[in-house]
Amino acid sequence: MAPLRALADLDDEERAAAESLLFRLADDEFVIAERYTEWQVVAPTLESDLALSNIAQDELGHARVWFDALGELGYSERDLVWERDPGAFRHSTLVELPFAEGDWADPILRGYLYDVAEDLRLDAVAGSDVRELVDPVEKIRSEEEYHLEHAQNWLERLCDDDAGRERVQSAADRLVPHALTLWVPGPAASAIDSSGLRGESLDATRRQWLDTVASFLESLGLTVPLDPGDDPTESLPDSVGSDGNHTDHWPRLHDELTETYRELGRSDVRRLRGEGT
Amino acid sequence: MDIETVKARAGPREFGRADDMPEEYREAATRMLQFHANSEIMGAYLEKPFIRQSPSVDRKLAFSAKVQDEIGHGQLLYRAAEALGVKTREEMLDELARGDGKFLNCFHYEMTDWAETPMIAFFVDGAAMKRQATLKQSSWTPYAHAMDKICFEEGFHVKHGEDIMRELATGSRKEQRLLQEAFDEWWPRILQFFGPTDDRSTHHDFAADVGLKTMTNDELRNQFLNAYVPKARKYGLEIPDEPRIRTDEDGEYYEVVEADLDWDEFFAIAKNEYPEGLDQIDGRATAREAVAWVRDSLTEADAGGPGATASAGGD
Repeated sequence: MAPLRALADLDDEERAAAESLLFRLADDEFVIAERYTEWQVVAPTLESDLALSNIAQDELGHARVWFDALGELGYSERDLVWERDPGAFRHSTLVELPFAEGDWADPILRGYLYDVAEDLRLDAVAGSDVRELVDPVEKIRSEEEYHLEHAQNWLERLCDDDAGRERVQSAADRLVPHALTLWVPGPAASAIDSSGLRGESLDATRRQWLDTVASFLESLGLTVPLDPGDDPTESLPDSVGSDGNHTDHWPRLHDELTETYRELGRSDVRRLRGEGT
Repeated sequence: MDIETVKARAGPREFGRADDMPEEYREAATRMLQFHANSEIMGAYLEKPFIRQSPSVDRKLAFSAKVQDEIGHGQLLYRAAEALGVKTREEMLDELARGDGKFLNCFHYEMTDWAETPMIAFFVDGAAMKRQATLKQSSWTPYAHAMDKICFEEGFHVKHGEDIMRELATGSRKEQRLLQEAFDEWWPRILQFFGPTDDRSTHHDFAADVGLKTMTNDELRNQFLNAYVPKARKYGLEIPDEPRIRTDEDGEYYEVVEADLDWDEFFAIAKNEYPEGLDQIDGRATAREAVAWVRDSLTEADAGGPGATASAGGD
């Protein structure tokens, strides 16, 4: 196998492609973590509270890994989070939607749809030849395995009875179209593939994702609102997120999470050593 | 075991699940543990919004981890309480939702600004550390065991709180001003953390006799003042003139002038009748009610949710 290249050694076109790939990875992780933390203290049981908190912190940690890679391309945390225009965020709409109070089926199903996608995405990224993309994959995947198991166990449990299954079905009807936005190619898609930044195309990964998701959900007695053969673009929601067009929920969330930074008039971010990791 | 035997044997980690403890002991220990566990939950509820409001990614991670730790502490303490056989965890969590469960005075106040966060995460947690260190000597062994883990984690929380305070205290003038304003507002509440002076504390004598408490409120408060007033000054905070705190000739704190503190407010809080506290109790109760359908769908064997045991040891 050829030795891995460093991000810093990519040519201009490759760098732009890598940036585009990294922004999507980082932003999805960052925003889903932000949403998951909404369940802290209000999850159904103390145990589920602890579990979802762990997952939120893992995802935030992964966001930081990808933000650090973007750091190699010259971005600071200030540019990446605190002073970035909400319209410049590249996450999918799946991760930015708010939760309805008490709708535990939503974070569980959303987590499942996201974790399966994450797994495939990491596979694809591990097939690249860029060190900053390949190196973090092993550790991230070891954590994602637990996330997936957590989501699957809960889905099985919730689908045990009719009332729970109806709640999960309603979450699926609402969320699956938004999950498809994870696979919408951006303008850099072909450059990402031709620069060898991922081992599989988005299209191929989407098909695998839908196969996996559909067969598991159907085994629980759920209906997935589209078939693998369907044209996915016909099922997409009005905004897909990764092109910068988000639902109205995103600017509000961004406004809330940057409030302290703005109110205190901060202009920089200090990294902590070892804390919270 | 009768009460006289309990009193004669009372000492650190003297009694446990295998002992047949008298009702009076079990109720006193349950009351303490339930109060402590409730306080962990309500403290987490108060701090939760600051996960979102954290002004850096690292800080957000640390805040999320802290809130998670508090929930984990609640879990440990309810378990230690359940072992006394007086109430189940669900009963205690329901009492908290109904407004019948008691918890620390400081967690009955609203917290809206970032500059207030060190008031809880540094001063209140620091005060809690003083009390909790003594609880490692509790005669109820499950309580003492829980405190080993809790004290270890609280050490990190206080550092996290101190770090936020240091950042504000060395920040812009506006940040320094906001920090001082938060301190002025919270200082009397922090002084009341240890409750009224001993002669007005009703439960102390029995709890001390059976080894559930090893220090008085006054001793703990003075220890706290001796450690934390210098720390507050180090970060440039001015101690308000009132409530007056008195030192002896060696400069050691020995008294807070009780008349300078608002005890009507304190006792309203103690009865869960303070409006801001009620909002928090009700807000949490509404959130708890909204996920009752999930708990109802769980079997007894799996009451925490699927995979609960696997995740309970998480960081």
